[in-house]
Amino acid sequence: MEYEKGYVFQPKDTRPAKKRKTESQGLHASWQLRKKAYEEAWQIQNSRIEDALASIHSKALEDVTTYLNEIVETPLPSRIPTGIVLSGPGSASSNSLSSRVASSVQSHKRRLYVTLDSGSAPHLKAVLKVLIQKATASVAEDEDDDELATISRKGPRLLNYDLQILYEYVRDRNIEQVVVSFPDTEALGSALLSELLELLHSWLDRIPFVCLFNVATSVDFLQQRLSRGAVRCLNGRLFDAAPSSAEAQLVFSAIAHPDARLWVGPTLLASALERQSDYIQSIDELVDIVQYAYMSCYYANALSIFLDPSVKSDSIPADHFEALRNLDSSKAFVESMIENGNTTRARDLLESNDNLLAEVQEQMAHGKASLTKMTTALDVVRTIQDTLPNTPTSLKSNLFIQAMTCKLRGSAMMRTMLLSVRKAQSDVAAALMGSVCAADIADDIKEDITSLKGQLAELVAGSTAKSQPLRSEDDIGSSTVRTTVVAQKVHLSKQKSQLSKQDAAYTEILRKFSDHLEAYFDSSFIDPQSLPFHEIFIYDHKSPHREVFTPRPRHAVERALTSPHDYLDCDCCAPEKGEDGEATLSSTQPAAAVLYQLYLESGNLINVSDLWQAFQAVMGGEKEEGDLMVLFQRALAELRYLGMVKSTRKRADHVAKVAWRGL
Amino acid sequence: MAKRQREGDEVGNTPTPKKARRAVFEDEVTDTTAETPSKRKSILRGTPTKANGTRDAGPTPTPLKKVLFSTPNKHQSEDEIGLDTPTAARNDRSARRKSAKALRAPVADEYSDVEEDATDARIAAEILDSEDEDGDDSAEETIGVSHTSKAPDTPSKTGRPRGRPKGKRRERTPTPPPDLPPHETYFFQNRAGANKTSTNSLPSNILLNHDNFRTHIEAYQDPHELDIRRLQNLHHRGFDQWVFELEQGFNICLYGYGSKRSLAMSFAEHLYHQSEKPPKIIVINGYTPGLTIRDILTTVAAQTLPKSTKPPAQPAALLDLTMSTLTTRPTPLTLVIHSLDHPNLRKSQPLLARLAAHASISLLATCDTPNYALLWPLTQARQFRFLHHDATTFAPYAAELDPVEDVNALLGRSGRRLGGKDGVAYVLRSLPENARNLFRILVAEQLALADGEGFPTTTAPSGGLDSDVESLLGASDEEAALQDTPSRRGRKGRPPKTKASKPKPVAVAASAPEGVEYRTLYHKAVEEFVCSSEVNFRTLLKEFHDHQMVEARKDAMGTERLSVPFGREELEGVLEELV
Repeated sequence: MEYEKGYVFQPKDTRPAKKRKTESQGLHASWQLRKKAYEEAWQIQNSRIEDALASIHSKALEDVTTYLNEIVETPLPSRIPTGIVLSGPGSASSNSLSSRVASSVQSHKRRLYVTLDSGSAPHLKAVLKVLIQKATASVAEDEDDDELATISRKGPRLLNYDLQILYEYVRDRNIEQVVVSFPDTEALGSALLSELLELLHSWLDRIPFVCLFNVATSVDFLQQRLSRGAVRCLNGRLFDAAPSSAEAQLVFSAIAHPDARLWVGPTLLASALERQSDYIQSIDELVDIVQYAYMSCYYANALSIFLDPSVKSDSIPADHFEALRNLDSSKAFVESMIENGNTTRARDLLESNDNLLAEVQEQMAHGKASLTKMTTALDVVRTIQDTLPNTPTSLKSNLFIQAMTCKLRGSAMMRTMLLSVRKAQSDVAAALMGSVCAADIADDIKEDITSLKGQLAELVAGSTAKSQPLRSEDDIGSSTVRTTVVAQKVHLSKQKSQLSKQDAAYTEILRKFSDHLEAYFDSSFIDPQSLPFHEIFIYDHKSPHREVFTPRPRHAVERALTSPHDYLDCDCCAPEKGEDGEATLSSTQPAAAVLYQLYLESGNLINVSDLWQAFQAVMGGEKEEGDLMVLFQRALAELRYLGMVKSTRKRADHVAKVAWRGL
Repeated sequence: MAKRQREGDEVGNTPTPKKARRAVFEDEVTDTTAETPSKRKSILRGTPTKANGTRDAGPTPTPLKKVLFSTPNKHQSEDEIGLDTPTAARNDRSARRKSAKALRAPVADEYSDVEEDATDARIAAEILDSEDEDGDDSAEETIGVSHTSKAPDTPSKTGRPRGRPKGKRRERTPTPPPDLPPHETYFFQNRAGANKTSTNSLPSNILLNHDNFRTHIEAYQDPHELDIRRLQNLHHRGFDQWVFELEQGFNICLYGYGSKRSLAMSFAEHLYHQSEKPPKIIVINGYTPGLTIRDILTTVAAQTLPKSTKPPAQPAALLDLTMSTLTTRPTPLTLVIHSLDHPNLRKSQPLLARLAAHASISLLATCDTPNYALLWPLTQARQFRFLHHDATTFAPYAAELDPVEDVNALLGRSGRRLGGKDGVAYVLRSLPENARNLFRILVAEQLALADGEGFPTTTAPSGGLDSDVESLLGASDEEAALQDTPSRRGRKGRPPKTKASKPKPVAVAASAPEGVEYRTLYHKAVEEFVCSSEVNFRTLLKEFHDHQMVEARKDAMGTERLSVPFGREELEGVLEELV
């Protein structure tokens, strides 16, 4: 079988195809239960993300579709109608605008949608072939009766890159629009693109072409690349698609949705978002990372069974409760309960599973509520930043990461923000209060702020100088610094400028307001690590994600070859004590490892004869030459297969070194 | 500025024995005391501006003053050279010398203060001299002309040994300095410098052939067998997880050292047994020689397309058809591709990515090379949707590799499909007389050629170390030759005399043809009545090509050359058998 090119797998052992009964042990026993819970949880989350992404593109999508509809109604344009979608990098992802446009166009019977990506287009002929083939293939499936018409066409057989084929197809089926989309415009050769456009233009009177360009850079750049003739063929309109960073923020807010069963922790999220902005620019990967976080949590964390709010205590195996009691946060929780004198309750939790389950669910609901409160507070922070003049609005994801790692509370950013609130003028302050009240915050604070707002309104209404807003005492503009020279000494005296009574009252209100805000933020930004049972509903492990999404295969291979003991864990190859951790050559190591380490010591060209002799010396001389040669040959072939050496014709019996370690 | 002079000489290549220098020096000094003044005047006054071809006239006046004061010698000598060998100086193409010149000129020009200028110029000259010292030390005697007194002139020169201390240059330390960033590590490991390897060559019979290899490998007992099995069992624990990941629409990529074939197969087994109804699993052996994307696609299409449809021939069309069929009638398929990064499949990654992106196809692929991730640009990587797992197994690449052939190919002993001399003999036995004769001519010619050019190289006195026996065929790469020649001349700084007297072995090696010219061989063949026409000749050659007994290559001039890809000993053996 191993020498066949491809085959359908048949199992070797002829066990009955019945499901092998693998009674999983221990905590893994609840896997089927958790899997069901996972599917449910992820489905909800996924649809939330989908909705978010759909909403961000809905406007642009509508614009494009109406544009396409308009074109259908205008008869015979002189130039190719062209939609240019400015989408920024990473637009080729499956969730992007272009794919949505595609699906909306394809829903029309009388329209064709063809995607021409750079991979299929080495030259004009190939592009045309692809274009014709895709266009004619796309509807043929469900209209079987029309197939005869194409076959029974009279006349000479046409070459498969002749647009005449497409023309006949379009004419036969009354196609009213052929949309040609270029998802990666920049990757297409400019000469090719220009040629293609001019050709399409010459067929425009017979085939109703429409072009859609996805532009990651700028329109100017596109125009520069096209020939003048090609530009003259186009009649473009510009559409703005949401950039992928906006998409990322949307996906993030879907992740941190109050109803989310599982919260993705800050370290994981930070690394994912960083990777997103630095390397990938594709929203799918971010979604994948979140999905994998869900998968890992439900698969590897047996306690995730408690995430399902409807779970019953009799369906949970007993050892899960034991595991739950051994959680760090749960121990701390019970201890604090005993300290507070609530010993009976603590005993209940330790002894009765039912009580524990109820408590866990209550505490988790409480924990999630506090996390939700935190995210609302983040929203409040952002609205305040929005309203305040001269304050940049932070990204919600950044704020979230800071808050989850307890870095937001008392941070410089927060202090400056509160300070600028105190300095705000009355019109800004009124707007601030209004927006804070509109936010979804706790009722008591809301009441306080509403009353403050009322006071402020009264004050402003009673103010004499209506044209000018009231100023706060803390505002720098309301105090002057006076310099006086007395006996050759300079005195700096700060003097409050004369404040009207209204201003003083206003300052009072403003101070109260900022105090309220501060208290609110302090109560909202809790330490998530202090929540009981936070291990269950916050998933924050970097470990499987890093290896799974950003593997380091080169490092793995090098490590396997330089210190095989790390993998094999054998007694013979253990690095000697006293060495500084560096593995040493020994005859017990696998041949390829020995050869690789010899290889590392050599220069760019390696004399195989010398290598063989060194190998022989390392592997021990008492063995027969042939026995060693087998290993040598095999190891050398492996090195070649791994792309470490290649043959060279510079010297006889030499090989060239291709890979260097540790890069 | 003695060096200008020296350079002139170097360019002119006048052989000057080193030893003689001191003596000449003394002589010159003594007898110039009387002569110099007049000579000096004449030079300086007569030609102040056109003194030096390449240099602007600016600096010359200052040295003129200087002559009167402290250090006249240097500047004077400089001008003198300008007269002596103007062409040499002008035609001096060395960038380093030019930049040195450019450096020096403004130094002399800028300062108005004569004293200061003089010392500055001297310092600069000394610095530059000391830099250039290792260049060439010939023609020192001409400097002497200008020396009025030799004592204070260049004290540093005499005190120091000439040239860069031997061996101090670029010491190769085996251990890199710690904590280098990756790119620096690269340059450290890849730095230029002597790459001394011996000229030992493997005896031709030491490499095992297939039969011997098989007997030995079957007899071999791996001491790590248990550990390897344990490692594999460790990976088996991940199977449930992998099943889950595949179910969730991800694809899996296994990487790490060791053959992952058996691991992937036991996963397939696991997958087969754990699911309710037996899934369709298609296994592709990516390492099979001659595997193409079409083979994969037809295998997949055979499982998906209804029997009645005739699959299109083009891979892209086939893929499209398969995908659309899968969309309309979804049949879950699991694809196991061994060695996805094998050279066979490297060009067809886009198609595979599209296939893998389909919802009803799950892919478990294994990758062996350490840099496999570079195969995929972002969009393809997205389509693959891989989760990577480290599956280092340490298992031998039994199915993937043919060590005997690979090593032969690696060492350029490509008796590839043939099994060396015996194989050739076997093939020749089944060929007609004429073909055998042609092969004999070819081998003989090749041997003669190898002898012809091997001769001067091996007899050359010192070049032998590197360039001897360039290869058994005398097949020396142009590249290698080019690399060798300049470096040797520059680095070792041999006296030009020996260089001139020595025949240029490397140059000979560089022009050494590799293999026999097509035309020559044809004419020889016609002469010996092996064939009568070129068509005839070609048919004979084709047989050899088919058996890979002959390799054709175009050399730098574009002429086609034929060679038999064997070592010298084997060639001789073949020739003996044929004659």
